[in-house]
Amino acid sequence: MEQAGLKKSLRSKRLISWANLVMTLILTAISIYGAFIGADKAQLLFNSIPLSVYWLAFTVLLITGIVVLPRLLHIRGLFLAHTGCVLILGGGICGSQAGFKIWDSLAHTDTIRSGQMVIREGETDATVEIDTQKGIVKPLPFAIKLVDFRLEYYQPEQIMIQTRIGESFKIPAEPGLKHTLNANLGTVEVVKTFQKFRMMTSNGKMAAFDDPNGGPNPAVELRLIGPDGKESTKYVFERFPGHTNPGDNLAFSYHRTIRDFISDVEVVKDNKVVARKSIEVNKPLHYGGYLFYQQGYDSEAGRYTILRVTNDRGLGVVYLGYILLCAGAFWHLWFRHTLGDREIED
Amino acid sequence: MAIKYTIQGLLIYAAIAVYLLAFVITLLKQRKAGHGLFFAGFLLAAVAIGYRWFDVRHIPLQNLFEVFLVLGTLVYPISVFCNRVLRIGGVAADMLIGVIVLFPAGFVFNAEPMQLPPALQSWLFGPHVFVYMLSYILMTKAAVQAASQLSGGISKNNLLSPEEATYRMVCAGFPLLTLGLVLGSVWGQIAWGDWWGWDPKELWSLASWLVYVGYLHFRYMFGKRHPRLNSTWAILGLIVILITLLWVNLSRLFPGLHSYAM
Repeated sequence: MEQAGLKKSLRSKRLISWANLVMTLILTAISIYGAFIGADKAQLLFNSIPLSVYWLAFTVLLITGIVVLPRLLHIRGLFLAHTGCVLILGGGICGSQAGFKIWDSLAHTDTIRSGQMVIREGETDATVEIDTQKGIVKPLPFAIKLVDFRLEYYQPEQIMIQTRIGESFKIPAEPGLKHTLNANLGTVEVVKTFQKFRMMTSNGKMAAFDDPNGGPNPAVELRLIGPDGKESTKYVFERFPGHTNPGDNLAFSYHRTIRDFISDVEVVKDNKVVARKSIEVNKPLHYGGYLFYQQGYDSEAGRYTILRVTNDRGLGVVYLGYILLCAGAFWHLWFRHTLGDREIED
Repeated sequence: MAIKYTIQGLLIYAAIAVYLLAFVITLLKQRKAGHGLFFAGFLLAAVAIGYRWFDVRHIPLQNLFEVFLVLGTLVYPISVFCNRVLRIGGVAADMLIGVIVLFPAGFVFNAEPMQLPPALQSWLFGPHVFVYMLSYILMTKAAVQAASQLSGGISKNNLLSPEEATYRMVCAGFPLLTLGLVLGSVWGQIAWGDWWGWDPKELWSLASWLVYVGYLHFRYMFGKRHPRLNSTWAILGLIVILITLLWVNLSRLFPGLHSYAM
């Protein structure tokens, strides 16, 4: 009787090990398939009902393994790593679309999972666009005011010069800088850079200037000195690269590379400013259970910002899972086996 | 294929030549001289990295050129660590790995310096990529040992057998592979608002991690009873890693958030 019980117990342990291996292989195959269909379709696939069932089953299987298999329970590294996986799956399920739906139906709430906000400079907004195509919006329990939006560029900015025979030169757009291309092409001098370039006639002459009331039109003024000493002025525009006249030997383009885009925002609750933050890429605002990310901006005039809004539900559990998974993997595989010189017992 | 007529390029070519010479000398049983040349190749590659770092003013791990340059440099310290601490051989193969990974940096990938886009300006950029590079070299060594096992290789100089060496290399590389995946996920959360975005690169990274999860579980379940299957599994892991590292970035089949890493 005792032997039969032992056999049964061994069989069930082996079954769990096999089931775990099969589930891992299935997930490997689906991941590879998901990589071929693109992120949007993959997201739908991994959030579909069959895959939701799979996630739940895998989580339950891992928990069963931890409880039933003595190795997973008693060997510290294995316990940490597998518990970490359970937490990651659990946190992922909580933060998934299905997780939000279930939570909202049980708690009778209508929580924002993710969306975006488009806020103009100086304006305050408390609505999140959930589905821009269908026009679905949801309110936040507080408002966000965009105080200022700005773009920062790498310095120095660059001017690219191309000749008709395919030679190319890259020179920094630094006013005062003179660059001799070669004996046949002459010299290029950077005179001035403009952010809001405009031209106007003054005393019968055309003059370029920065118009504080105009829209963005970055440009650079160049003085070209030919091999014969003849001088001419050339304006190169960032938005209209490579413009040449039939007689031109050189084609110019003006390049600026964005270093950062920053939204200075205030969080307003009950007509009071409760938080301030400069949101940048990699520096989101975390407030009231929501995260606000710098997603995009008005590329034409730089007058509005686009913030991505996500709910942080389940995130802490996932992060805890990550810590346990890494701790368990290093503990077991590095300190126990690789450096501790212990072989896995069969 | 384009030759780089720059100091950077010359350093890489010199490192390739010295690694290759070290390989040949080692095959001719001149182990000490071979090791000395291996070290010299490492120094040349390390100088090439330092030069690049100074040139681009950020940690040189932004594109495939920089990544392969770093891989070619890491081969030496990892080889020494594995040989002296983990008792794993294959030093000659490591020299050849150095040649193979430096070759595309020298002749294939574009070395035009690029400024970091906003998304890459994160403290996680260096650790995430560097940890992955370490794990990739270890997993490459695991696959070499696995290939040696499949071709009937035997252990020499009191070193571990190829099957055991494969397992030990996977044990060494897997935690780093895990850490790389986790750091990438945390970075994704901080930069884009999703700790998992179902991007092709993410899914291939997950697939490569899962292949090694499968290997470790299979090795636990059956031990050394199926050495050929264990070895094949480890080689499969490297194939998936190569797809993750190269194919996903170079092929137009997989457009995604990691497209800048070319």
